[in-house]
Amino acid sequence: MSRLLRFLPAGRGAVLLAATALTLTACGSGAGGAQADAGPPRPGGTLVVAVSSDQGCADPQQVTSNDSIYALRQVVDSLTDQDPDTGEIVPWLATSWSSNADATAWTFTLRPGATFSDGVPVDAAAVKANFDRVPELGARGSLPKGYLAGYAGTDVAGPTEFTVRFDEPNVQFLQGTSTHSLGLLSPDSAAASDDERCAGVIGSGPFTLERYVTDDVTVLAKRPGYDWGSALFTHPGEAYLDRAEFRVVPESGVRAGSLQAGEIDAIASVGQQDEAPLIAAGAELPARANPGIPFGITFNHDTPLGADPAVREALARGIDRDELVAAVYPSQTRPATSALASTTPSHADQTGHLGHDPARATAVLDAAGWLPGPDGIRAKGGQRLTVPLNFAQNIATTKPALELVQQQLRRIGVDLQLVERQISETAVIQQKGDFVALWANLTRADPDILRSSYWSGGNNFYRFPAGGPLDDALVAQAAAVDPAERTRQAGEAQRLLAAGHHQIPVVELTTVLGVGPTAHDVAFDASSRIQLHDAWKSE
Amino acid sequence: MTTLHPPPELRDRTPPDPAGTGSAGREGPRRAGRSGGGARLGRFLRRRPGLVAAVVVVVLVLTAAFVPALLAPGDPAVGDTAQRMLPPGPGHWFGTDHLGRDVWTRVVHGAALSLQATVLAVAVALVVGGLVGLAAGYAGGRLDELLMRGVDVLLAIPAILLSLALITALGFGTVKVAIAVGIAGVASFARVTRAETLRVRRSLYVEAARAVGTRRLTTLWRHVLPNAAGPVTALAVLEFGLAILAVSALSFLGYGAPPPASEWGSLVADGRNYLAVAWWICAMPGLVIAATVLSVNRISRALDGEWGRSV
Repeated sequence: MSRLLRFLPAGRGAVLLAATALTLTACGSGAGGAQADAGPPRPGGTLVVAVSSDQGCADPQQVTSNDSIYALRQVVDSLTDQDPDTGEIVPWLATSWSSNADATAWTFTLRPGATFSDGVPVDAAAVKANFDRVPELGARGSLPKGYLAGYAGTDVAGPTEFTVRFDEPNVQFLQGTSTHSLGLLSPDSAAASDDERCAGVIGSGPFTLERYVTDDVTVLAKRPGYDWGSALFTHPGEAYLDRAEFRVVPESGVRAGSLQAGEIDAIASVGQQDEAPLIAAGAELPARANPGIPFGITFNHDTPLGADPAVREALARGIDRDELVAAVYPSQTRPATSALASTTPSHADQTGHLGHDPARATAVLDAAGWLPGPDGIRAKGGQRLTVPLNFAQNIATTKPALELVQQQLRRIGVDLQLVERQISETAVIQQKGDFVALWANLTRADPDILRSSYWSGGNNFYRFPAGGPLDDALVAQAAAVDPAERTRQAGEAQRLLAAGHHQIPVVELTTVLGVGPTAHDVAFDASSRIQLHDAWKSE
Repeated sequence: MTTLHPPPELRDRTPPDPAGTGSAGREGPRRAGRSGGGARLGRFLRRRPGLVAAVVVVVLVLTAAFVPALLAPGDPAVGDTAQRMLPPGPGHWFGTDHLGRDVWTRVVHGAALSLQATVLAVAVALVVGGLVGLAAGYAGGRLDELLMRGVDVLLAIPAILLSLALITALGFGTVKVAIAVGIAGVASFARVTRAETLRVRRSLYVEAARAVGTRRLTTLWRHVLPNAAGPVTALAVLEFGLAILAVSALSFLGYGAPPPASEWGSLVADGRNYLAVAWWICAMPGLVIAATVLSVNRISRALDGEWGRSV
């Protein structure tokens, strides 16, 4: 209820804006007919975006939830940027970079002239301050810590020259530098404690953080004088928008309704049921599959069920991904075809191992001695085939999707039990191995996400056995400086994961935005989050 | 969350007859004779169509809880995704949900879970609250002070907040939801029981029983408890309605049984994201909850001496 009331003052703001816009059109009536195609970008205006949740932190290096990243990505710049179409790494704050032969040292050259919004220059010392601080971050800093795995230090060779050293080959670091997680903070911000940083940070990005209220709103203001954008930005200089406001609105119906009413300009996480009304209201629905590991089921290989290849294969074959996608997910969503989503560089299709084939699923279970009991649920040696699946409801589609998977698996005699956990609990459960199977995804536009999740020498949350060919492929791709060799090794890892059904990919998380008729050029970055530098508003 | 307070007369009235409080109806038919009783019952019910409807609703709900297959033979957990979000109509009286499951079937099969939690919650509140009130009222003095200040603390915390705090400590599940709701209801039972015990304790027959040397526990059990039970029973029925609401609220928030169980609160929660396109997913279970709570309240009022007051 209070969330609805919160719209009131904003509504008044919208009236003011509309009045201003009327005056403007009255003055510039020569530009009539610009409504059909929006015309050239115009500066000014406030873009209001509604997101479904807030992670409770305003530090880009410490957030992992898309809803928080949308806003905080705008506050920081990264050393590099990644082209969403080709996966290629392009210059941003760094103009050039190179690595040594075994990828244990990366040397960057910074562009001169960039400053943080507190006036401190973005130089090699500032980068060192950021990277030196990352390994000390707490549990919230899992993403940047993963990118800097094996970090041995940064050598400053001059104000714009520095070298990042690692104890072991680290090829994925370069893509890591393009993410929000390694976005650069002012040295003062970087030095603050984790919790202080969560209250707000200073970056060098095209917007500055004006106000952050937990679970309520994040307000960004344009950074005057910004002139060090990524090579991917379509215009140089400052952002077009004066302001961007990210409001937390948990109910998808309320988000969609507010967009239809024109109270807000864009919304995140559009549900399937809201698509038709939004299109009718003239909204656009840009969508992009999140790269990384798609939503799927992964077994704890230390449990009897997880160690049983027949059970794993039966689940992989028993799930009808097409029915699931059609019934629950937004229409742009695609079923998963591999341990990596289709937008991840080095993705290799494994449909042959994952296609829906209930006959084969039941045959595999019969052969392994899991025979149907009187109620249709299979059993072996008196033990029923009951699979407890832990999940956290991080997006609205998770529960309906899993209820449908539950129905589908029942048809092949598997009793899937859904155990809901809090999002904050998941990390602890993984660490302790206190689960049989887990429903999860992980976004990253680099195949190294496979190593950080499934390598037996890493976190190894899923207790994969050590020393197999999978380990070899995962380690080889991390050290392969040659892109073709890296793609080959990553493809081999995906084949092994799918052939052994070690991980059962189900559906690719697809970010669908709803963008109202007055907002333009809200663009996806390579990780399917948004970049607002080129976004603008027409009136 | 709406909070219904027990009507004031339940808390501090002094009923005329210590033996028959709250159940005066029991004596009515006996006094009037059998045939006269039938006519009186007919007249009584004719003037109260609301009460009749309430009884019908409660009978339906109880049927759903004990023999759900009688009202809805289908499987509540299985749907046909080709038939999702069909509006209410023949074949699907309450429509179908976002996975093509029949909402009527889910509501009917969810009744057992929701009622089980509610009955358990009221039982916890009744037994714990009743014992605390009885002990405080009968013993008096320091024990009374101690127990009733504890009850005051419970009363100072809003019931739903207390339930939420308890459920966070206990974990998810139907039984845990019931316990959390029950504990939050202990205070009102303790106060009513104590008030009744205080009144009965000073009556002549209790003093007489003491005078002839009956043991304290026996007095408490044989004389005080039965005579103090009337208003507490009426409160229990009233509390039943409140408990349905509280249990549904907690399962709405996701603390109840795991999916695909169809507790009423979680049915309402499931439909939240589809309000604009399929109102029935939310509205139908919501209306059933409302109808049940109103019916139970109506019956509780009838139990509270309405028959005795009628002509």
